[in-house]
Amino acid sequence: MPAAADDRGAHNWTSEQDTTMRNQAMKYISPVGAMPSLATAAAIGSMMLALMLPGTARAQAAGVDLDAAKILKRMTDYVGTLQRFSVDTSNTLEVVLVSGQKIQFTSASRNTVQRPNKLRSERIGDLISQSFYYDGRTFTIFNPGDGYYVTVPAPNTIDAMVDFARDSLDVIAPAGDLITMDAFDRLTDDATSGFVVGKSVVGGVRCDHLAFRSGVVDWQIWIEDGDKPLPRKYVITSLDVDQAPQFEQLLSNWSLDPAVEARYFEFTPPPGVKAIEFLPVGTAGAKP
Amino acid sequence: MISSRKAIAYGAAFVVLFSAEVAPEAPLGLRLVPEAQAIVGAPLTPGSVAGVARRTTRRTVAVVGTEEASEASAQQAAVTQQQAATAQQQSATAAQQSATAQQQTAAAQQQAAAAPASGGALPLGTVVPSLPADCSTTTAGGVEYYKCGANYYRTAFQGSNLVYVTAQP
Repeated sequence: MPAAADDRGAHNWTSEQDTTMRNQAMKYISPVGAMPSLATAAAIGSMMLALMLPGTARAQAAGVDLDAAKILKRMTDYVGTLQRFSVDTSNTLEVVLVSGQKIQFTSASRNTVQRPNKLRSERIGDLISQSFYYDGRTFTIFNPGDGYYVTVPAPNTIDAMVDFARDSLDVIAPAGDLITMDAFDRLTDDATSGFVVGKSVVGGVRCDHLAFRSGVVDWQIWIEDGDKPLPRKYVITSLDVDQAPQFEQLLSNWSLDPAVEARYFEFTPPPGVKAIEFLPVGTAGAKP
Repeated sequence: MISSRKAIAYGAAFVVLFSAEVAPEAPLGLRLVPEAQAIVGAPLTPGSVAGVARRTTRRTVAVVGTEEASEASAQQAAVTQQQAATAQQQSATAAQQSATAQQQTAAAQQQAAAAPASGGALPLGTVVPSLPADCSTTTAGGVEYYKCGANYYRTAFQGSNLVYVTAQP
């Protein structure tokens, strides 16, 4: 790791030196000196940013390009400042059969978040109805069509709830990381590389396309270009599963101030539905 | 071998919440995947970037296949897919991955072979994604059970999936 950091540092230094030298040369051969100067300024600005942002510096040391870290951090910081928002998602989940055949399942959901500790997510336009409620005290999954729900006590922040749901309930939100307050660290702690692929358009919105590698997971994210750096697309590739299946999520209809009341996040069982329990995590099937 | 191929393997826990995730429910899965086959690997897709890095619990995905009515017996095959080690070993090599896959396949076949023979009672705690045909409901101690042949089942959530677990009322 220190070696990588050293290499990186040397590379940066060399690049800047090259740039400076080129700038000096350009002054003599080019009538337009502004562009090289801007490039130099950008390089220095990037270095300062690295010093100012501990998370960014760490990510860069791990092999994440500074520009990629900067754009990602801008998004996570921005989403972290949103006290209340709703967003629709369209999801594709791949599964791999023993035969090697890949199957995709699609679903869509509407999600509403109120910081620091409220969230509701419901599937929309789907054959299966399922809703998730988190009101800061309890976490509920409700299947209206089946008439069953389960409610369990939950931690008092969204970050802790996401971890609790994953570790204790085996209820996993692949994109849940994006809405946590420490999203940047969650995403980059194990990143071994990251770079800016380029500009792209997702759902009619101009975005920066970033690509990262984190151990057995490769992931990509498309972040809106402009003063509202919102995530617009998110892809996770699982390298430790045969055929490397992917989870893909498109995010649309962002509303940054939805009108919802606190009770919107509270679950009140309708008459006739039955409360059931979670199987303990680790429960296997038949154990002959 | 044959029964393991027919077994439906179900990854519980697919996704949820914000991402909306969510795995296909068992009955839907049966329709979509008529040739029931075990699904390789767990989780089927990474739960989350942080999940892979931070997961501390040993995760086991349960599965079990229920034969359709055409099969004389309700043979159950359970495949335990363990992801544990790989989740924490960030630097899994290709060789390790293929070894894991073989291991899972072997485990599936082994357990399928050891599954109870036709028609009998299943071990308590057996998890199935859908109920066999011809069940009746009964309530004991405030809990609803489905009686199907020799077995009683209660409904539960495994991750975000609705499943049925053999139980003793």
